[in-house]
Amino acid sequence: MASPAVVEISRWQFAITAVFHMSFPALTVGLSVFLAVMYTVHLRTGNPLYLQIFRFWKKIFAVGFGLGVVAGTVMTFEFGLNWGRYAHAVGPILGVTIGMEVITAFFLEAGFIGIMLYGDGRVRPRTMAFACWMLVVGTLLSTTWILSANSWMQDPAGFTEVDGQFRASNWWHVLFNPAFAYRYPHILLAVLISASWFIGGIAAWYLVKQRALPFARRTLSVALGVLAILMPVQLYVGDATAAFMGVHQPAKLEAFEGNWKTDNNGYNLLVVPDTDKGENRFHVEIPHLGAVIGKDLSGEAHVPGLLQTPTNDRPNMWSAFYGFRAMYFTALAMFGMAFAGVVLRLRGRLYTARRFHRLMVWMAPAGVVAISGGWITAETGRQPWVVYGLIRTSDAVSHLSLGAAIAGLTGFVAVYALLLGLWIRYIVRTVRTGPEHLTADAGAGVHPSEISHA
Amino acid sequence: MLEYASYALVLLALGAYVLLDGYDLGIGILSLLDRSDQRRKEYSELIATAWDANESWIILAGVVLWAGLPGVYATVLPGVYLPLIVMLLAIVLRGTAIELQSAASGYRHGWGLVFGLASLVATLCQGLVIGAVLSGLPHRGGVFTGGTWDWLTPYSVLCALGLVTVYLLAGAAWLQDKTTGTAHARAGRLGRPLILAVAVAGLVLGSGLRLADPQHLRFDQPLRATLFGLAVAVAVVCAAIAWYGFGRRPDWRPFAAVAGTEAAGLLALVAATAPVVVPPDLTVRAAASPHGSQLFLLIGVGGCMPVVLTYNIYAWWVFRGKFAQPPATPVAAGPSRPPAATERPAAVVPVAGDGPWAVVVARRVLLTLLAVTVAAVSQDVFGGVRVWIGPVGVVVFAVTALAVWIRSDRHSAAVGEFDLQAAEQ
Repeated sequence: MASPAVVEISRWQFAITAVFHMSFPALTVGLSVFLAVMYTVHLRTGNPLYLQIFRFWKKIFAVGFGLGVVAGTVMTFEFGLNWGRYAHAVGPILGVTIGMEVITAFFLEAGFIGIMLYGDGRVRPRTMAFACWMLVVGTLLSTTWILSANSWMQDPAGFTEVDGQFRASNWWHVLFNPAFAYRYPHILLAVLISASWFIGGIAAWYLVKQRALPFARRTLSVALGVLAILMPVQLYVGDATAAFMGVHQPAKLEAFEGNWKTDNNGYNLLVVPDTDKGENRFHVEIPHLGAVIGKDLSGEAHVPGLLQTPTNDRPNMWSAFYGFRAMYFTALAMFGMAFAGVVLRLRGRLYTARRFHRLMVWMAPAGVVAISGGWITAETGRQPWVVYGLIRTSDAVSHLSLGAAIAGLTGFVAVYALLLGLWIRYIVRTVRTGPEHLTADAGAGVHPSEISHA
Repeated sequence: MLEYASYALVLLALGAYVLLDGYDLGIGILSLLDRSDQRRKEYSELIATAWDANESWIILAGVVLWAGLPGVYATVLPGVYLPLIVMLLAIVLRGTAIELQSAASGYRHGWGLVFGLASLVATLCQGLVIGAVLSGLPHRGGVFTGGTWDWLTPYSVLCALGLVTVYLLAGAAWLQDKTTGTAHARAGRLGRPLILAVAVAGLVLGSGLRLADPQHLRFDQPLRATLFGLAVAVAVVCAAIAWYGFGRRPDWRPFAAVAGTEAAGLLALVAATAPVVVPPDLTVRAAASPHGSQLFLLIGVGGCMPVVLTYNIYAWWVFRGKFAQPPATPVAAGPSRPPAATERPAAVVPVAGDGPWAVVVARRVLLTLLAVTVAAVSQDVFGGVRVWIGPVGVVVFAVTALAVWIRSDRHSAAVGEFDLQAAEQ
């Protein structure tokens, strides 16, 4: 058996690389949809404003997508590097699912991104639009397969176990496992929403600075429109996901509600859990609200606590609780801003409300924060299982020396910290430079060499 | 039988990777040896359109190995932990360098250096991995059981050096096909020395294989010996064609010949070692997934392969011919800050003349309450009373928001708030 230190280091390594990787798809899936829509509108109307929007966001998309790809390459191999036993046990099921992701989605994206990024002037505008939409199909398919694989680990179905290896007995049940039905719409909405905040936040910055106004207004309007529609839907879907999980993974729900005993009906805002004693050293709660959120308007129903779960099957309350709070409160703030956006629009002040724009700029990374929080809740809440109820994380790790594991973790932390800094610097520079200046006659199908520059 | 089809799929993906990413890694290493910034920028741009698609093949090789031969995946990856981690980090830095180089307006020396060094490191690590696998890895029950440094053998170091020469050759051949001018002439001159280097590497590694491989390579079987001999012969013929083709027209010939050499080399290796995948004794059959997974994998991945190849070839065809800068590099010369005088009037925030403050406060309180209610409905708080309230409420909000969006958008368009021309005047 591997030492506990190797297990811990491998877990940290996986957590860091996965959160880092996921921040990029969180932006690029939504951005690819946005880019495809903008380019199509440009094709149909011939309005150069949309070409300007397309070209500007394409620059940010290109680098983000590239970083997402390389970070995703790491993920593919990490299953085997640090989690060899896990890889051997679930390969016949999850290897196949992820293989399907690579062949149907990854190649599609990789094949068309070159055309989308460098095809200007080489292919017809219609082909460009086609490449953009193929990229959308690719990113969405990719999300589908990955969510299917991850949901299977949360709620495995359709398999039999032979000699410690899992075999699919029904592929339909494996791919469309019960958790997938709830988690897939949740994450799909989440990636669209987080891209919208990113787009909206940067557009708001231009409004604050009073630069490139038509560009900023158009972009902000689209982003806030999408958010106003999707935010309430997302709250509803998220609630359904939590309710489902309360039945299928009760320990996770208990951990992120922050209760130990089951005699409470309040909603915890802050907790300082004491894992050894099985109680909270300190907590701040709103009485009755927990029961209300749990659909009991009288406010008396009890919120389940973690003591119901046996000690060695309990997830870490710290990470589940605060991961969930990061997701949920950011979501409420996003919802409030989207609501305010609708009100401002009704009053005709969307493009002049300066304080609102400043807040929007701060909200630019909100979606990524919420997704990361949600991921931490989902994955650490599943612990100590790597495949829920079947394989413990401590039994999944490779035969590695402590030194090698530490070297791997250090390498990733150093390189990823550097990359994150570079990516932020790149965005800041690109945004400062601003969208390129297009004259009004740069319509559809015009050769790029005819476009004048500022 | 199915497991051999999966093995073939792994080999196909691996071969495609070695060929495709091989040439762009080779060009990366070549860029270290080149002194001209203009050429180095050209190399980087040449790769920017294709590296993503090229790199996908190693991901495919990895997951097909995981799905089809989990025994091999779970043995090899922990066994070559350090070189693989370093290779992944190099690939990460390399991709970043290519993207940021491509996004920059001029040539950035720092990114150029990262691109070249990361290419070299990734290649060396891949060679170490191949050499380590051929030297054998200890394992039991589908799980690696050896030590941290087991991958470091004399043979794996030789493999690393050999792979560098192979990738350099592929890089030079690709450059001859895709470039003009000085880069083209350089590639033509580099070709023949590189073929010699590859030939030496092939001889050393081929004769070293018998010593390094802990299994008994059974060349006494006639079928195996024949296949091996044929593959080697094809490789030699292709190398000769490449030798003839460097520096001559047509420019595509060296790369096609190098591709033939690489494919034949891979087949020769498989002919020598099959059915053992990880020496001394991990065979395709022992490492394979259950039948159902193999079937799904082959139908799914194999069925998609023709489609994938079709659009990959299309994407390659779009960028066919000699590399040229796009007609116009759409780079803004500087901050496109519009003249302040034209935009400033809009900056004046209209004073909120909404009547007495009590009305403003009342309105805000009501709006806040409305927002809390909307949030509560969206949270399905009333699901305990009536199940339909939540979904119906959410639909009503979404439709309302859409209607407001359309109305206000039309209004803005009519007023000219989205008008590029108006903003310029």
